[in-house]
Amino acid sequence: MDRSFSPPLSQAHFDDLLERLREAEETLDAIRHGEVDAVVVGGSSGQKVYTLENADRPYRVIIEQMREGAVTLSADGTILYCNERFADILGHARESLIGREVLHFVAPADTPVFAELMAHGPASGRSAELSLINADSVGVPVNFSVVDLDMGQDSARLLCGVVTDLTRSRQRSHELAAANARLAAEIDVRRRAEESLEVALDAAGMGGWDLDLAQGLIHGSKRFDEIFGREGTPGPWLVGELLARFLPEDRPAVQAGFEAARRVGSIEFELRIERLADGARRWIHVKGRVHRQQGRNGRLAGVVSDVTTRRMTEQQLRQAQKMEAIGQLTGGIAHDFNNLLMVIGGSMDMLEEHMPGDERSRRYFAAARQGVERGALLNRQLLAFSRRQDLRQEAVCIDDRVHSFQGLLERALGETITLQLVEPEARWLCTTDPHQLETAILNLAINARDAMPNGGTVSISTRRVVVDSERAQSVGAAAGNYVAVSIADTGEGMTPDVASKVFEPFFTTKAVGKGTGLGLSQVYGFVRQSDGFITIDSTPGQGTTMTLHFPLTDDPEQARAKDDAAVTLRGTGSVLVVEDDASVRDIAVRSLGDLGYTVFEASHAQSALDVVASGVGIDLVFSDVIMPGDIGGMELVQRLRRSHPAMALLLTSGYTGQAMADQPRPADVQLLAKPYTRATLSAAVDAALEKARARLRDPGKPGV
Amino acid sequence: MSVDITPEGFADDGSYNLRLYVAGQTPKSLLAISNLKKLCEEHLAGRYRIEVVDLLVTPQLAAGDQIVALPTLIRTLPPPLKRVIGDLSNTEKVLVGLDIRRRDNL
Repeated sequence: MDRSFSPPLSQAHFDDLLERLREAEETLDAIRHGEVDAVVVGGSSGQKVYTLENADRPYRVIIEQMREGAVTLSADGTILYCNERFADILGHARESLIGREVLHFVAPADTPVFAELMAHGPASGRSAELSLINADSVGVPVNFSVVDLDMGQDSARLLCGVVTDLTRSRQRSHELAAANARLAAEIDVRRRAEESLEVALDAAGMGGWDLDLAQGLIHGSKRFDEIFGREGTPGPWLVGELLARFLPEDRPAVQAGFEAARRVGSIEFELRIERLADGARRWIHVKGRVHRQQGRNGRLAGVVSDVTTRRMTEQQLRQAQKMEAIGQLTGGIAHDFNNLLMVIGGSMDMLEEHMPGDERSRRYFAAARQGVERGALLNRQLLAFSRRQDLRQEAVCIDDRVHSFQGLLERALGETITLQLVEPEARWLCTTDPHQLETAILNLAINARDAMPNGGTVSISTRRVVVDSERAQSVGAAAGNYVAVSIADTGEGMTPDVASKVFEPFFTTKAVGKGTGLGLSQVYGFVRQSDGFITIDSTPGQGTTMTLHFPLTDDPEQARAKDDAAVTLRGTGSVLVVEDDASVRDIAVRSLGDLGYTVFEASHAQSALDVVASGVGIDLVFSDVIMPGDIGGMELVQRLRRSHPAMALLLTSGYTGQAMADQPRPADVQLLAKPYTRATLSAAVDAALEKARARLRDPGKPGV
Repeated sequence: MSVDITPEGFADDGSYNLRLYVAGQTPKSLLAISNLKKLCEEHLAGRYRIEVVDLLVTPQLAAGDQIVALPTLIRTLPPPLKRVIGDLSNTEKVLVGLDIRRRDNL
């Protein structure tokens, strides 16, 4: 457009100018009235748009609204502008911040970081984490990011900064860290609980296990693996692998147990396994429970323990109980049997006087009498086994005893067997009956001989044994110190089956007629009655060692003198026989009559008291211990001792174990064991009368 | 850059071609766009075409129409070229400036 003046102006030109003027005026007017907020400025580098003040309001609002601090800094770090949030972070009024150096608010330790941030770097933004000190002198962790503001080459350098308060996020991090620590502690507590559970289980000899039903895997503890004898291959067991450890005949029961567990929720069984490591058969006890996971049966967990020792102890206990029962039965039979032998023996004593003196009759008679004696011996053995025989308990040195009848032992063993007596460390004393002890050792020695038909060695040794409570329980004796005497042979040995039966009465491996089967039963009864026990150590082909254990004592009590009579002593005086068994009473009455005594009889204690009270003048009362009625023989003699101190008293019994335990016999009253012969009866009656006479002569002396 | 905000179905038969120059989203610019749209719908319904030119994005386009202040509205059709400066809030002034209404009061 041509702007030079060139007269004359055409009308069109004039109109155009007028229009332009109007536009210019309107533009100025609009600017003046603030109807525009941006102007276009031409320059050497082309057009540029400048927005007027407030034109950037939307940006400002955003800047003021945002949760980040915003700041404009000069190159030397002077705050030229900051938003409200930035002032908040520092806790200062916004106005007071403009013109101050931002470095003033940077924590001293972070000044190098800040200096690096401010240094002229690449045009892109950069940031650092540092602490700003707020008005309360508290460090506020922030992320400070800056960017250089391009103002053109000539302008001073400016920086824009965005400051993010990290207090909250730091706090969250701390909370997170604390939560982590708590979790770690909980895990630690749980792990420790698991560990101590395993230690506790281990101490109890139990292995822990966990069966995953879905996977069919069993995770076991170390002890679990040990019980099943698996070595060196850690890790879970397959169900089938574990099942194969059980004996084939027990497997169905195992499977049934696990099947039932799914229904009933628990499992418990005691079955046999063959241990992997050594093939040993062991009894194990398994107990467990189902874990219910989200309503389905996911896992079974529980414990396992090896109960072989307990099972063996139980078996021994059952054996002991059986022996006890047999003993009681035997004792009862023996008592009645004694009375029968009494009758036969007594009748023979009387028959003998009326017997024709020919050789043949005497032979028959002798055979019959021998039969009675053998019967009596057998009965004594039965009574010994049933522990109803009276033991004369005293302190005995086993070695002294063995040496004293060494000759007898050697004769019994014969020439093919060597007897070896092992010298003990000390001469221990134990409480037992010395005669029964000799019989027992002889019995065992003879058994040893019979086990070695081709010769060998029998060695006898004693030693001291301490029995702890666990072992005491399994052998059925009290814990404590024992003297053990072992009789060992080098013979055939026994199978466990035979060994378990040897103490049963009438059990014998000997040929018919060679043994009664009562020898070991008698030994067993005698040892038990001495509060001891017997152990057998036998291996087929390697010999047998029988060991008798007697309670150790350190009280060297003197042995009581025993009295035995072999000759028939006749006498005079009046004797009252008290006996409930008519046949036995009859024998006694006749025997005493034959011996020269005047005899009265009573069938029970009350009637005896009546006879005494009638004043017939009784020198001796001879009474059975066990009688029916309110008063027993024991009480009868107690009463008579009080009412008639001068009267001689004598007791007799088939067995007295029980009665003796209830009521101790007066010290000076003798007990005549059934069956007795006329000779032993005469001696006992004579002794009792002599004792009474002695008391009369010397009343100050209480019993003799 | 220019944005055509002409309604659909516009026929080129003596209608108005309008070009609005703005500076980004300054308050006046935003206001001008809003006002112009309203005004055209009221008075030129169906016979206008609007083109918005943001000079913050394309400052070189300012030279063509000799723009000095923003926002500025230019009537490119029908000729002659008409120019209204400001946020277009005075509807009367805009109608006169664009020759839609006679300039009685001037």
